[in-house]
Parts: sequence; structure tokens; C-alpha cells
Amino acid sequence: MLTIPERFVFTFLLTVLGAVTAAGFYGIFNIVRSGRAAPPRQETLRHLIAAFIDVGLQKPIFRTRTVLSIFHAFIFFGFSFYFLVNVTDALEGFVKGFELIYGGEAIPAVAPALTPVVNLGLVNLFNLVADVLSVLTLTGMAAFILRRFLGRDKRLRFNDNVLLHPQVEQGHVHVDSAIVGGFIMIHVGSRFLGQVFRLAENGRPDWFMPFASVLSYIFRSVPPNILNVGQHITWWLAIGLILLFFPYFVRSKHIHLMAAPLNIGLGKQAPRGQLDPAVPPGADDDVEPGAKLLQDLAWPRLLDAYACIMCNRCQDVCPAHSQGLSLSPSALEVNKRYLINEEYFALAGGNRSHHLLTEVVISPEAVWSCTTCYACVRICPVGNEPMADIIDIRRRMIIGGAEIDNGIQSALESLAKNGNWFGKGSRARARWTKGLGFKIKDAAKETAEYLWFVGDTASFDARVTPLTQKVAAILHQAGVDYSILGRLEQNSGNDARRVGEEGLFEQLVENNLAAFGKSQFNQIITTDPHSLNTLRNEYPQYGGMWPVHHYSKVLLQLVESCRLEIKNKLSHYRATYHDPCYLGRYNGGYAAPRQLLALLGVNLIEMPRNRENSYCCGAGGGQIWLGTTPEGERPSENRIREAITALSQSANGSGPGGKLIFVVACPKDVVMYTDAVKTTGNEDKVVVKDIIELVEEAIGEAGD
Amino acid sequence: MNIVVAIKHIPSLADELEVNDEGTNLDYDMVDFVLNEFDEQAIEQAVLVKEASGGAVTVVGVDVIEELDGVLHTALAKGADKAVKIVGDLEPGIDSHTHARWLADAIKEMDADIILTGVQAADDLDGQIGPMLAAHLDMPYLGVVTGVEVAHRVATLYKEYAGGMMGKYAVSLPLVVGVQAATKPPRYAPISKIRQIAKTAVIEEIEVDDDGPGAAVMLRKMSPPVSTGHANMLPGDAEAVAEKIIAIIKERGLL
Repeated sequence: MLTIPERFVFTFLLTVLGAVTAAGFYGIFNIVRSGRAAPPRQETLRHLIAAFIDVGLQKPIFRTRTVLSIFHAFIFFGFSFYFLVNVTDALEGFVKGFELIYGGEAIPAVAPALTPVVNLGLVNLFNLVADVLSVLTLTGMAAFILRRFLGRDKRLRFNDNVLLHPQVEQGHVHVDSAIVGGFIMIHVGSRFLGQVFRLAENGRPDWFMPFASVLSYIFRSVPPNILNVGQHITWWLAIGLILLFFPYFVRSKHIHLMAAPLNIGLGKQAPRGQLDPAVPPGADDDVEPGAKLLQDLAWPRLLDAYACIMCNRCQDVCPAHSQGLSLSPSALEVNKRYLINEEYFALAGGNRSHHLLTEVVISPEAVWSCTTCYACVRICPVGNEPMADIIDIRRRMIIGGAEIDNGIQSALESLAKNGNWFGKGSRARARWTKGLGFKIKDAAKETAEYLWFVGDTASFDARVTPLTQKVAAILHQAGVDYSILGRLEQNSGNDARRVGEEGLFEQLVENNLAAFGKSQFNQIITTDPHSLNTLRNEYPQYGGMWPVHHYSKVLLQLVESCRLEIKNKLSHYRATYHDPCYLGRYNGGYAAPRQLLALLGVNLIEMPRNRENSYCCGAGGGQIWLGTTPEGERPSENRIREAITALSQSANGSGPGGKLIFVVACPKDVVMYTDAVKTTGNEDKVVVKDIIELVEEAIGEAGD
Repeated sequence: MNIVVAIKHIPSLADELEVNDEGTNLDYDMVDFVLNEFDEQAIEQAVLVKEASGGAVTVVGVDVIEELDGVLHTALAKGADKAVKIVGDLEPGIDSHTHARWLADAIKEMDADIILTGVQAADDLDGQIGPMLAAHLDMPYLGVVTGVEVAHRVATLYKEYAGGMMGKYAVSLPLVVGVQAATKPPRYAPISKIRQIAKTAVIEEIEVDDDGPGAAVMLRKMSPPVSTGHANMLPGDAEAVAEKIIAIIKERGLL
């Protein structure tokens, strides 16, 4: 029970600081709302509830870093429960006789209505949970503080070349962390200590508060009046401190505890492989595509900044970061947040930001290092989409005439001019069909069940066309009824869109849809995951509604239905399989290639990073077009080393000449990894094989 | 300042070129047309001059196969202000003399202060359009230029010479410049901007009659080069290859 002056001070602080905090939240509401419209969402309430359940079970955070996630769960459960604890503590301070210790034995006297609650033992349960969670929260928080300040975990830092907001540069994230960490330690620690003092003053333990009871013996010898003063001090440090912390909370990283569940619940509803439009639907004509300033971003991107707790998990999985480049998805979110804080009053008042995103939030070099592999978005425990910011910034750079890499520029120009990025005439697209020994149906002239969308790399790259021919021959052998568009096919536009060239993407979509419209087919197949992604997830928005399949799935069906007969089991191979980003992470195509390899008899050894965690080859998002090769270990080289380590540790069989087999199912992967095997000097150790080569070997004449 | 860029639409080298049945020229039905790459440099240089010194850029070209609009829209998206196409009942393969005469007639009406054009084009490698334009318009000409600045009605032109030497000229306007390369690589024109312009832009048309060859010379026969044997690749490691080389030299009696 607080004294009258104490109660007065508390009420006064609650009113004043509560109002300040409420104003702060209103400002945040206005800032987030100042972003552009997001694509329309459905069943928002259901998604929010699902998000709160997921967060309640701590599911998103356990995608990686298990030990740290356990500590986080301690703090999370502790803090969630402390909401209740704080309310009862406040009541204890204000209502005479309302005391929860000893199972609430004093309560019936002041609140007879609560007698059943006490009799059911619910107060004991509450005390037990509060006691245990207090200790767990303190443990978790101590672990985090030690990790950051004593262990100096490198994962909490950025590469030296990453653009940082000046305050971040000066280490303010650590200051913020110290304040928040300190607050939690003092808040929870004081509450816990207060209970210890109470038990010590009363001279008897409450075994439903086991930790506090044990500790209370230490203070038994302290005079009661001192213990009483101690209880007042700890009450203030526990409950009063919240009031002082409130206004800071609005500016601190701690706000993630509110923003994160909201952000997950309000997250992207469209398929992963479908980018949000460059201009919100229904926007005025003068709204420029993409983003230059904070407010050009869709509002969920501004909420992202509040949801980010700066854990850097996204950075850990970013191929550009691992290469030592200047891109860090987390730095982007952190910078956005510090920029918002810096301009808080102006932004909350409805003014536009005074800083270009490319000057404060992310450097132009970093913008152009993103492979759009989606690993950062997938791993983020709070539902952030840093990749969406990057695409929008690229879009504005393209439309605004910013200087772009010469390789990307000539690829885009060739795409616009020739419909492919190889600088080849459209007539050359079907040249790979020469010498096949049979004729592939021309989609414009003949009806077929499947349209094979070949894609640029498979059509033009001399390293890949022999594989394209193998696919053609094997489909033909299996009696698959398919056609190709030939010169009428153009690049699908997947990568052009991810480079930010929305207009070019639309042009390519229109040209392809015009060609599709002239043809008769029911389904689309492709070897190229990039084409598959946009054909499946984005073309429907433009009216292209055909089912799209990856050849790995088609081949699987052919083997399963015995239309392709396995004559040689490839059990002598020591092989691993690389999940292409746009087949796996974007489109969930994990099972078909693995089942197919299993049917071929291949003993597959998984690399540590597989399926959802697969590591990008570094080609996507226009990176394959770059005119200049950035320094550092390329993602594909890193991946080849990972494969060699994984395969060498396994005792399974080995390939021809003892070589390890690196299986791919993407034309760009063929190019990237054949190259990486050479540049890492591993030609004598590992061979890159397209899945079609293994199929060919398995269905070949026995003993081949 | 009126800046004029004279451009040429030529067969794309992205396609494999085929000769027509008569063997007199390319089979123009089997090839796409693109903007001459030196003209792309000329457009970029014109826009750079306009950005630095003010003025308006007019792009003019002969619409040989009635597909020049795309090129002109792109030029407008890159910063040109006006587009003009010379049209008529035309066939590909127009020679430089005719080309230059039509362009000059069009440019005469434009009150041009500086005329930029690609120093040559891949289709005929004549390098004639610039000099002939200058002759028709009675202006000085400087070719193989790699940089243009204009101030106070004087153009400063940079020209690269063999052996890494750089020449710097000061020429009073008006004049014709044959552009080898712009000061900066040509900028990228975003497709959405080009498409936007395509919807609204008005391209001025100038009608001409194709009155036959304008030059005293005519192309009689065109054919792909006849291959005369090919290189013999020596496989094997460095030592094996070296041995084979020595053997060949000995065999031919060179040692």
C-alpha cells in the first residue's frame, strides 16, 4: 500500500506521461499512415489473430538461432505476463488489503466478490508463474546484455562499407539497447526483489513463490522498517519506472513488441513471387513509381521500421552481405527507423522527409547488390520486407534517369529491342532446336497440351543449350505433347521487374501474352524458375491464367507413371541438390526434384542450407547482368565450398572419377556454378549437373 | 540554340544477316532495324549540350521501313524536344547521297545552330552523311568527335587522334559534327516513359519522293565472306602443345 503522497505523485505522473506517450503513439500512427497505400488485404482480423497466436507461440523467431530464441522466449513470456503483474502491483499500491502473497488470503476481507478466485488457488498459480517468469526474464535479458556488451557478438554489427544513419554510426543502437536492457532488468528485478522483501518482512515463505521465498531467507535479519522502505523503493523502480520509460518507449527499439505482431498480421497476403505494384492501384496520375523519400514507400514498409529489433538475422542470410558488399537489409530498416526518429515531429505533422532514401537509408551500390533471393524476408521474425524497399528504390532510380550499371543497362536495352538479354535477334531464339532429329511443334500453328516457355538462358547460352536439347529429347521420348513459341517468345520479364524496370516488364508481359493468345495449349512448362515465378504469380494479374509447372515436376510425373523407364539406378553418385531461390523459397518447389532424384536412385546428401534456407547463387535480381564484378567471395563460390564440405563428410558413393555431383534445376545455376567450380579451382572435385543429365543417364541403355 | 540530330535506322547486327535472292543487298525482310549506334551517341551528346547550355533538341531521320517511331520516342524520352521523320514510298538501301539530301532539306527549315550526327553507320560504313550535310547546308564539318561543349555561339570540340593524341577545336556556330562518342555513355530511357511519350508525342512528317540512286556508285553484289580454311586447335597441356608446335615448325622446314 502506497502512502498518500506516493499515490498522488503516481497519479500525476501517470496522467502527464501517459498523455505524452499517447501523443507519441498518435504521431507514429500518422507517420505510418503517411506511407503509400498497400495492396488491398482480406480477412485482416483473421490474419491479425493468426499473427498473435504465432507470436504467442514464438514461432517466427525459432526459424534460426535456437539458443538466443529460447532466451527471447523467456523475455517474451515474462513481459507478456508482466502486463498482468503490473496491473496487480498497481492495485496493491492503491487498494488497501489487496495483497496477492500467500495465495491472496487477505483479499476476501476487502473484496468478498473475489473469494472464489482465491479459493480456487488462482492467486497461487499467478504468483508461481510471476515468480518463475521473473527469473526467466532476468536470465534472458542478462544473456542478451552479456552477448551484446561482453561477447560483442559480430552478428550485431554491420560491414564497414554499409551506409548508416549518423546516429547508428555513432553506436546509438547500443545506447538504445543498454537503456531498454537496463529498464527491463531494473523493472523486473525490482518487482522480484520487492516480493523477496515482503516475504522477508513477514518472516514466512510462500512456496508458490519459490525463488523469492528462497532469497527471502537472506533478508530475514534486516529490520522490518528497512524492508518496508525497500518495498516502496522497489515498487517505484518496478511500476513507477514504467511511467518514466513510456515516453522513451515510443522512440526505442522496444516498441517492436507492439509493432511486430501487428506487422506480421498486416503483412503481405499476395504470393511471395508477386511484387507489389510500382504505383498503388487507383493512385493519381502524377504519382511517380517507386520510392525516393520515406513517404513514397507503402505504409507497411514504415511499420517495418518500427517492428525491427535490429537482430540482423536478415543480414546473416544475405548473399551480398556475406560477400562483404555494402548491402545490409537490417541496416536499411534500422536507418529508416533512425531517420523517422530524426524527423519525427515534421513527419508526424504531415511534412515530407527531407532526406533521399539513397542518402540515408541505403546506398545506391547496396541497392544494386540485391539478388532478390528473398532470404531476408523469409527469415525475418517480425515480418519485415526490406527487399520491397529495395525494389521500389530501384524503380524510382530507373524512372528518374539515375545512372545505372552499364551491364544492366545494355541487358535492359536488349530486352526492349530484341526481347532477350543476350543481344541476339528474335529469329535466333529457336536455333537450339537445330539437329534435334525431330521437330518441335510451333505453338502458333499447332495445338499442344503443354507450351514450353524456354526462357533466355536456356535458349541462348551455349553452356545451357545442350541441356535444353536434352530436355526436348526426353520430353519427346516420353511422348509429351508440347510446343514452343520460337521467335515469338520473349523474356518473361521476371528479372527486368526485379531490377525495377516496371515499364519493360509490362511490355514483355504484353508481348508474351499476345503470343500466348495466338497459340493453343492448356498448361505451361519451363526449366527456368525465374520465368516460372512471374508466369505463375504475376502474369495472372495481366490475364495470363495458365497453370505453370517446373520441368522437375513434369519429369517426376513421367518417371512415376513409367513413361520414362529407369534402367540404371544412379546409386553410385555422391550428390547434393541446390534449391533455386525462385523455385524453392518463392514457389515451394522442394519436393519434386528430391523425389525425382530418389527415383533415379541418387543418394542425396543435403547441404546445411537447404529448402527454405537455401543460399542464393548470386544471379537473380539482375545481378547476372552487372557489368562489373564486385570483389569478395561470390555467393556461388561460397555455395560450392559448402557443397564440397557437406559431400566430403558423407560416406555415400561417389561420381565418375570420384567426383562429387552438384545437382541444379535452373539454367542460371548451370552457368553460375560451372563458373564457380572453375574459379574456386575445384574442377577435379565436383561436377555441376543439371537434373536432366541425371534423368538421361538413368533412362539410358543399361550398362551405359 | 537549336540542336539538331540527324539519325539513321539500320539493320540490326543482333540478327544473322542474309543476302537477298538476287545477291545485290541484304534480305531486308529477314532483319530487324535499329538506331545506328553512333547516332545514339549523337543524341546523348545533343541532350548533354542542351542540359549544359540550354536550347532545344530536334531529332530527324528517314523512316525507311516505317518503324522509326520507336526510335524517335526513345530519343524524346532521353530528353529530345521534337521529332521529325522523313516519309515516303521508300525501300531500304537508300544511299548516303540521297539520305543526306533529304536530311539537309529537312534541316534547312529548322534554323539549326549545331547539327550532330553519328560519324558513320554500320550498314554502309560511308561516314558520308555528316560531310554531305555540311556541304548542303554550307557549314563547317568536324568528324570523329568525342566531346562537344557550346558557349557564346562557339562550339568546343574534342577529337581523338591516333597515338593517344587529343585535339581541341573552337568552331563558330553553325556547324555539323560527326560524333564518335558522347562525353558520357548514352543514358537509359525507361520503357514506361517511352510508352507514355508514344501515347502523346506528335512526330512531324516530311514527305519525299524516292527518285532513285543519288550516288554515282552502286552496290552490285553482296555476299558473306568465303571462309578460307580455319585455325587448327592443338589440344593438350602446355608441354604437349609446345612439342606439337615444334613438330609443325620442323615439318614445314622453318627450323
